[in-house]
Amino acid sequence: MNRVINPVLFKVVRWAFLATVLLLPLLIFENRGYYLRIATLVLMFAGLGGAWNIIGGFANQVSLGHAAFFGVGAYTSTLLLKYIGLSPWLGMVAAGVIAGLLSLMIAVPTFRLRGHYFALGTIAFAEVLRILFLYFKGITEGPVGLSVPYLGDSVWNFQFSGGFGYYVTALALLSLTCFVAYRVKVGRLGYQLRALSNSHEAAEVVGVDTYRAKLWASILSSMLTGAWGTFYAQYLYFIDPDTVFGFWTFSVKMAMVAILGGLGTIWGPLVGSAFLIPLDEWTSAVFTGNLAAVSRLIYGGLLIALILWQPRGLLFWFTGLGERWRRKRSSLENPEAETGP
Amino acid sequence: MITNLLQAIFNGILTGGVYAVVSVGLSLVFGIVDVVNFAQPEFLMMGMFVAYFLSIATGIDPIMASPLVFLVVFLFGAVVQRFLIQRVLNAPLVAQIFLTVAVAMVMVSGAQLLFGADFRSAPTFYATKALHVGPFQFSLPQFLAFCASSIMALLLWIFMERTDVGRCIKATAQNRTAAILMGINPYRMYVLAFAIGTGLAGAAGAVILPYSYVFPTIGHDWGLIMFTVVVLGGLGSVPGALLAGLIVGVIQSLTSVYMPTQLQNLVVFIVFILTLAYRPAGLLGR
Repeated sequence: MNRVINPVLFKVVRWAFLATVLLLPLLIFENRGYYLRIATLVLMFAGLGGAWNIIGGFANQVSLGHAAFFGVGAYTSTLLLKYIGLSPWLGMVAAGVIAGLLSLMIAVPTFRLRGHYFALGTIAFAEVLRILFLYFKGITEGPVGLSVPYLGDSVWNFQFSGGFGYYVTALALLSLTCFVAYRVKVGRLGYQLRALSNSHEAAEVVGVDTYRAKLWASILSSMLTGAWGTFYAQYLYFIDPDTVFGFWTFSVKMAMVAILGGLGTIWGPLVGSAFLIPLDEWTSAVFTGNLAAVSRLIYGGLLIALILWQPRGLLFWFTGLGERWRRKRSSLENPEAETGP
Repeated sequence: MITNLLQAIFNGILTGGVYAVVSVGLSLVFGIVDVVNFAQPEFLMMGMFVAYFLSIATGIDPIMASPLVFLVVFLFGAVVQRFLIQRVLNAPLVAQIFLTVAVAMVMVSGAQLLFGADFRSAPTFYATKALHVGPFQFSLPQFLAFCASSIMALLLWIFMERTDVGRCIKATAQNRTAAILMGINPYRMYVLAFAIGTGLAGAAGAVILPYSYVFPTIGHDWGLIMFTVVVLGGLGSVPGALLAGLIVGVIQSLTSVYMPTQLQNLVVFIVFILTLAYRPAGLLGR
């Protein structure tokens, strides 16, 4: 099956890269920065979806609490910057480490859970963190939220005057995310995860330490998610528990991006994000005030339609389309070669 | 001191009875259709709105209107199951989870669009009355909600255990193939179970209306309670959900006596996580 998809997949990859490169100059000279903002958000959610995919897609452990890692990442770097003036770049590393440690803690009670139970357990963890961050106002400012101190336009402080610096950073972080996801996918761990995603028992029988495999996938996934949390805090200059630990704002959205694009693929999250985020931004720009709910209504309705139409994601549809087109062409060139439906 | 403690426990039982009925539908749906309906809290919200508008338009008491509310939400749930959920029953787990999440999104935003984000409450003559029994006092609307919930739980039990249709639903859950061989159409049973499950949440929404505000995002506040109750009781276990509802109500009530209210839900979550960690099948799970 892989051999069938691969050439088409590469075509998609090439096009995606081409599109990015072509759009870049347009973005640089674009004045208001509106499209640049959307492009940056697309990259960020593609990265979040990619990070989620490592545990949610490859291993099919549907986490609905990844906002826990995201929020902890955002707060770690921001608190370090605020209290000891640590550069957010180092803060990002710290964020990854703390998020990774948190995933170890979460692993203990949740890794025995399968399917729906795992999803429910992960929701609970993100909610516990949200409540704790709301409650300990002394450190986190509670529901008021935390502003990132502005230290002027400087690369060392991870603060850029225009939006372009953030775009490039997001691109770099996305590349790192895709690289890690790719290495996991083609490596030993990827095979182990795919084995256990079908059946833990069967994977155990062929000698996969499922707990260990899930642990590694979870650590990698959460570290990347934590790093994206730092990016978010630096990009928006403001974080609050209800947003960064939010079920709808992040937990659902990052999983949705990966699922709509294509579960367990490298490029799926980018496809899903390139579709979902502009849609989200566009509808919420068009429908404001009393009609604000229309945007979520359209968003939800489209999701329902997409899930019913392509339960396996858009990338599968694209590759399927490319495959059909290729077959049609080859059957036109030598009609007798066509066999089967 | 003892009076306070007992008062907290009694209050907990009153709210817990409502929690039980709010959550039991979720467990019923999971046990039979094998889908966790993440939109379940939104059906509660829908029930509250239906009861609210009935009460405003005709002056009928929300608790009295609950059978009617049940019917409305039941029909809506049947449509959702028949045309949406039914189609992903064999799809990957993520498609099932996210379909119900998207349904929740549509229901919340639909309600926001139709009714606005205002907090509304239906006036009743007993809203602020209290019941005095010895040294204890109970809020009358909560007491009535508890009584209505108990009746609903009893009716559910009679339906599932004593009627042919109820037995058919149980048979489908126990062994689908055998049920088909006995001439039961499993898809019809799924629609029925889903509609009953969501209808119960809707009726529970009507019952809590006299002491609770209604607004489009109220489902978010109830989602935690519902999921904790069904996991504690055992996903899929109806008696488990009823027992766990009472337990969660009492835990929450006791917490609010001894801890700041902001941390009230924290304890519920910790119970939730501990249950998942040490007894994932729940108290009365399969």
